[in-house]
Amino acid sequence: MLELININKYYNPGSVNEMCLFQDFSLAINDGDFVSVVGSNGSGKTSLLNIICGSIEIDSGEIQVGGKNINGVKEYVRHRDVGRVYQNPAMGTCPTMTILENMSLADNKGRLFNLTFGTNKKRMDYYKEVLSKLNLGLEDKLNVKVGSLSGGQRQAMALLMSTMTPIKFLILDEHTAALDPKTAELIMELTDQIVKAKKITTIMVTHNLRYAIEYGNRIVMMHQGKVIFDKAGGSKKEINVDDVLGLFNKISIECGN
Amino acid sequence: MKKTISAILRMASILSMVMAVTLLTACGAKDEETTKTTGASKSEMTTEADGDTTGETAAKGDLAESSYTIGISQFAQHGSLDNCREGFIEGLRQAGIVEGENLTVDYQNAEADTGLANQIAQNFVAGKVDLICAVATPSAQSAYNAALNTDIPTIFTAVTDPVAAELAGEDRMPVGNVTGTSDKLPVEAQLAMIREILPDAKTIGIIYTTSEVNSESTIAEYEAAVGEYGFELETVGISSIADVPLAADTLLAKVDCLNNLTDNTVVSALPTIIEKANAKGIPVFGSEVEQVKIGCLASEGIEYFQLGVQTGQMAAKVLKGEMAASEMPYEIIEESSLYINGAVAEKLSIEISDEVRERATEFFTEIE
Amino acid sequence: MEVILSVLCQGMIYSIMALGVYITYKILDFPDMTADGTFPLGAAVSAMMLTGGMGSGWTFLTLLASFAAGAVAGMLTGLIHVKCKVRDLLAGIIMMTALYTVNLRISGKSNVPLFSSETIFSNKAIDGIFQWLLPSSLNSYKVLIIIVVASILCKLLLDLYMKTKSGFLLRATGDNATLVTSLAKDKGLVKILGLSIANGLVALSGGMMAQYQRYFDITMGTGTVIIGLASVIMASNLMKNIPVIKNTTAVIAGAVVYRGAWAAVMALGLDAKDMKFITAALLLIFLVISMERKKKVKTHA
Repeated sequence: MLELININKYYNPGSVNEMCLFQDFSLAINDGDFVSVVGSNGSGKTSLLNIICGSIEIDSGEIQVGGKNINGVKEYVRHRDVGRVYQNPAMGTCPTMTILENMSLADNKGRLFNLTFGTNKKRMDYYKEVLSKLNLGLEDKLNVKVGSLSGGQRQAMALLMSTMTPIKFLILDEHTAALDPKTAELIMELTDQIVKAKKITTIMVTHNLRYAIEYGNRIVMMHQGKVIFDKAGGSKKEINVDDVLGLFNKISIECGN
Repeated sequence: MKKTISAILRMASILSMVMAVTLLTACGAKDEETTKTTGASKSEMTTEADGDTTGETAAKGDLAESSYTIGISQFAQHGSLDNCREGFIEGLRQAGIVEGENLTVDYQNAEADTGLANQIAQNFVAGKVDLICAVATPSAQSAYNAALNTDIPTIFTAVTDPVAAELAGEDRMPVGNVTGTSDKLPVEAQLAMIREILPDAKTIGIIYTTSEVNSESTIAEYEAAVGEYGFELETVGISSIADVPLAADTLLAKVDCLNNLTDNTVVSALPTIIEKANAKGIPVFGSEVEQVKIGCLASEGIEYFQLGVQTGQMAAKVLKGEMAASEMPYEIIEESSLYINGAVAEKLSIEISDEVRERATEFFTEIE
Repeated sequence: MEVILSVLCQGMIYSIMALGVYITYKILDFPDMTADGTFPLGAAVSAMMLTGGMGSGWTFLTLLASFAAGAVAGMLTGLIHVKCKVRDLLAGIIMMTALYTVNLRISGKSNVPLFSSETIFSNKAIDGIFQWLLPSSLNSYKVLIIIVVASILCKLLLDLYMKTKSGFLLRATGDNATLVTSLAKDKGLVKILGLSIANGLVALSGGMMAQYQRYFDITMGTGTVIIGLASVIMASNLMKNIPVIKNTTAVIAGAVVYRGAWAAVMALGLDAKDMKFITAALLLIFLVISMERKKKVKTHA
């Protein structure tokens, strides 16, 4: 269970550019939730992810995981339980290292990076198996440098790598936004498969309302640092894209767009 | 493909043009260096004239057949070192070994880079020169190291403390096929002279570069000797020429006079130091004649050209087979020469007594 | 022949330093200026141990001590960069400047001769081994053999390290530091480790050089980074397309070729004054050639 309690965050406090991002913001994510977070630009979606992961600090409030306060915990320590896929496919893999080496890296998450050999021959079959499920032909290219792969292939790898070891939360930051429609579809399906199979609590930020509705069990819409719409379970199944779009337009008009 | 080739060709042609230009300037510079006479031009001319007559007759007699190749490895570009090198060639000439006649000289300057000094020494050894002349400590050490397992003798010069550099033993005897001359400054003579000219002075200031080993050993000598002459010593160490102005200001606030060693960096910045000292009416003493000419009050030091000549004569003995380098203890210049600049004395309202004036080898009346 | 010998000797000593620069510049993507100070640090440490009376087989400990000293220096650069949040270039420059004083303090004076001390190249143990191992005609190669063994050993150890999990993490840090955080590892710590290893190698190289030229001089560090960078750039750009040659081997070759270029320039009769200009020109040419190559690949892909 992930809880954000009374979060306050200001950008550039005390200066002319002071901007209030979150004021008294609270959100609770239950175990097993697959939450889609939508909202206009600047609504705080990505900042929300950054706050959870520890990339940016909060001014006041509490972040709790399973009842324990993780406010002061460093970013890299939080990632022990977190997998994250970014919008930019290049951020999830190492371009000068081969597919095999990248997979080995990801496989070792949570364990010591010591002086034992980096790649484990015994695990190669496992990697091939996992990669073949992507149907991208990557299982035959284990010794190819990741930098020469296409964006979609790299994003698929990033997804695999972030979920290879047991994690508590999967953070997806518009991870299909930079991909063409076909590849985006592929990645979304893959995401769904993995999340269901491994039962990972997932938070997905997306601009694609269709994905937000089709996938996951909960949809949250944010606007100016506040949650204005939160539907889960049965009530989520009833909404359709038009409803959400309508709500979008409404708040846009309110803002004078 | 075509574009690539043309681009590469363009770069290659530019580079070859540049290299050609630098080669020409390099050759030109080399010619200049061998014929240029710096500083003590008049005295050099007279010694050359003397050397010519005595040298040539001796030459025709003994050395009609042999011809020698010498490698000169100089550590850095510096007036004193250049003077030394020219003196060396002159010393050889006085003994009948003349460049162009029976002597080929390969002069290389390491530009203060120890890696280059090593390379130069190794090239000389590979080229099987008859003798290596090394000017300044790191070049001497590189040369000695390179020639260790060969029978090429190393003659060093401008090495202030050959014993500390392990190029000679405690009693001045050689440790191997190496000998030469030391430019050890006559510390006591300098102190005595300063006391004579400034009977009331209490503190002497010295700026030195921490990376110059010659300076370190000389400072140690000064520290040991100042007490006897009733002085106290203040020193400031610098690591580059940019530190000089600040070091000078710091010292000038505390001392009655400044003194110079043969520290390359400090001497290059001498004009700055003299200007600041003059502004405060504080005299600067030099260690070499060139320094006195440009504005130091006086110096009881050594003349690098003479040191070079002495070295050249030692080298000639080795070349002619009269003595082996391993049998010759290193030499120093026993007698210091006093140089005084009257114009500076006037400027600073310092009286130079007649006795002191008489002792002077040269008394300059203008500041260059 | 002797020129080739000396080029090989000096080149391979510098190649160990180039391996260090390879780690920081190519793998970690961190332009590290500390090397100008770490090279003489290793030399000073070795020199002081040898003049302190270390001899015979124990002389090899000087190399380990030099490595350790360099590793500490690299670690400090890393700490300044990570904890004090100083830029990579500046952190290196700060350490390099500080090391000048440290080196002088270690050595006591600005020039320490080693003519009367035993070194790794000439001590009772080594002389004994070589008498037994080699016919006396090959004696002049004794020094070269020791240097080659040392540098190849360093290369092999480095290659081995790059295959370990820790090595992978190091490569990842230079490639994509975000991934390292995602892997729940502190990228700052990894950078510090990389800098330690790299500067350890540089210092080891300095220790060897001091014993090779038989003296330590405080000025011997100037220009070290340039020599290292030139070797690494030559290696990566000229030998990239030869598949058999591994990266680290190319770096060693690059260092030797660079030294050879110097020797060739001197043999051509050019003045040492022009050396720096020629170095710069050569570097520029290599960089341009490599960029032309990249363009070629892009148009054909």
